[in-house]
Amino acid sequence: MIEHELTVTNRLGLHARATAKLVQALSGFRSSATLTAKGREVNAKSIMGVMLLAAGQGTQVKLRVEGEDEANAAQAVISLFERRFDEDS
Amino acid sequence: MRQEFNGHGASRGSALGRARVRLPHVLEVLEEHIPAKAVEAEVARLHAAIATVRNEMFALRERLHGALVHEVGEFLDLHSLLLDDPELLSGLDELIRTGRYSADYALRLQRDRIASVFQAMDDAYFRSRVDDIDQVIGRVHAALHRHDNGISGVAGEILVTDNVAPAELVQLQAQGVMAIVTTSGSILSHSAILARSLHLPYVVGAAQAMQKINDGDVLAVDGATGRVVLEPDANDLRGHRGRVRELARERKQLHRLRREPTRTIDGVDVKLFANAESRDDVAEAHALGAAGVGLYRTEFLFLQRNELPDEDEQFRVYRDVVLGMTGRTVTIRTLDLGADKADRTGLALRDEPNPALGLRGVRLSLARSGLLESQLRALVRASGYGPLRILLPMISSREEVRAVRSMLKRVTVQLREEGHEVAEQVPLGAMIEVPAAAIALPTFIGSVDFLSIGTNDLVQYLLAADRNNEALTNLYTPLHPAVIRLVRDVIRLGEKRGKPVAVCGEMAGDPHFAPMLLALGLTEFSLHPATLLELRRTIRHCNLAQLKASAPALLRARDRMAIEEWIHGNAPAHRS
Repeated sequence: MIEHELTVTNRLGLHARATAKLVQALSGFRSSATLTAKGREVNAKSIMGVMLLAAGQGTQVKLRVEGEDEANAAQAVISLFERRFDEDS
Repeated sequence: MRQEFNGHGASRGSALGRARVRLPHVLEVLEEHIPAKAVEAEVARLHAAIATVRNEMFALRERLHGALVHEVGEFLDLHSLLLDDPELLSGLDELIRTGRYSADYALRLQRDRIASVFQAMDDAYFRSRVDDIDQVIGRVHAALHRHDNGISGVAGEILVTDNVAPAELVQLQAQGVMAIVTTSGSILSHSAILARSLHLPYVVGAAQAMQKINDGDVLAVDGATGRVVLEPDANDLRGHRGRVRELARERKQLHRLRREPTRTIDGVDVKLFANAESRDDVAEAHALGAAGVGLYRTEFLFLQRNELPDEDEQFRVYRDVVLGMTGRTVTIRTLDLGADKADRTGLALRDEPNPALGLRGVRLSLARSGLLESQLRALVRASGYGPLRILLPMISSREEVRAVRSMLKRVTVQLREEGHEVAEQVPLGAMIEVPAAAIALPTFIGSVDFLSIGTNDLVQYLLAADRNNEALTNLYTPLHPAVIRLVRDVIRLGEKRGKPVAVCGEMAGDPHFAPMLLALGLTEFSLHPATLLELRRTIRHCNLAQLKASAPALLRARDRMAIEEWIHGNAPAHRS
């Protein structure tokens, strides 16, 4: 199991488009993944779940990945956060 | 009493009819329980509705082209993801199973449950995301409803509502809605742009409409000026009739062409085939006098559920397409999926960094030979019912054609041995959409019976310009000397070797490009039925001999501007 602390740095936060990217990035992996923020834990492979976090800019989230390809799956999520979900600002 | 509302004209056309008022985003469903033994059937009914919606979204996604693709596509992708959302779906199944609720009521409960969490959020942006959930759930609900009683909803009515999502618009038009009036929205919205391309009268921003208009009220809507009149008087009716007459005159002229041949002024016949992906498209193509189906897409069959269709199911669909065209040639393309879409069919593929250059089209079919074999068997069986041709997407080499050819031979022998009545020979064609195939055509033209140039991908690959990338809109164009020359070469080689060549990309469906394609020697077009008559009208005003005489000038054109000038200079004088 891999756990990683992340900060939402893109301007709009985990809004619809960013969430879609996150879910799409994870869809190719077999591992299960969750995000925890503000006391709520959601399935990171569910667009609805992630949107329900209402994680705006600056929110701290904890990523937890578990499964055979957990290292690659975690890396995919981390790099998406680091690239600010490819948003311009 | 007469009343007038002024919105903004978002898509021209006039309509007079009764109003159907749709209240915003409320699922008015009463609590309903079902017997325990009906639970699994209810879950299946729900999943069938979800599959229908998924299919509709996929259809819309495929139909979107050009500048719209990027933004509307992203929006549709979001809704498609929601449809596949594990939380949303498992929640629904569970509600039906444990609560023994009807699928409709389960949707309502799930919607309310989610909405309450969204509505409690501080952030206005996140709060408003409940709209996306509502739109998706609303579509599934509508699909359940249609499935139940087959009613066509708003046929012949004018829909008055707060807003319409782009995906809904296509559906509403298919159901026969006459016009749409919304209280919000902008003439620049995706829905407005889409309404214009669908020729659906559309007024946005008629703010008071919802309060004042009731179901069944008579409305006169002018999609050009944005004027909506409630209980129109004699004067309004006269004005409406005038506008309708004008549009009808225009349409009648086109309609008359249904039974006319597609023949140039100098008497050369041109074949117009239809691109199709559903039974409705096939019926429309038939009614418009299409020469046949030039491209029948089979992806639907694979994407509408989370499993692969078996041979029998495919056979029935292909057979019906053949029967629907009553003896005219039907060209069916084998599965054209790539890793970006295949996962949804249960065909688990590895993620590809660049799906456009990946395992797609015939490559995927050859990699999963069981899949190809069952599709070829279904196709060959359908060939016993009328003229059928098989078209292979994404061909890039001779080996691919030969591999399919040998499997085709094998399954044909097998099917005959099993006692099936199949065609003497099923023609096999290649799509020319990879530059390598166009350039190396002489190496494999002997192995195919016909060719179809897929300009959308050919342009994308030839110019190395992603057609969905908005930053490249200027680069992604068929009006590039490389495209013109390559298309000319393929047509010429086909002519020399006696192999029919059609163009089936968007280029074929745009009447402005027709004189250019005719000048390059093209005599077969395959296009969406919606523009077939327009193209026929244009071709009937073209002089082929003249166009061919000016072809050298077209081939000498050095840039896009010169090509556009050629098109402008060679447009037929009369367009009506």
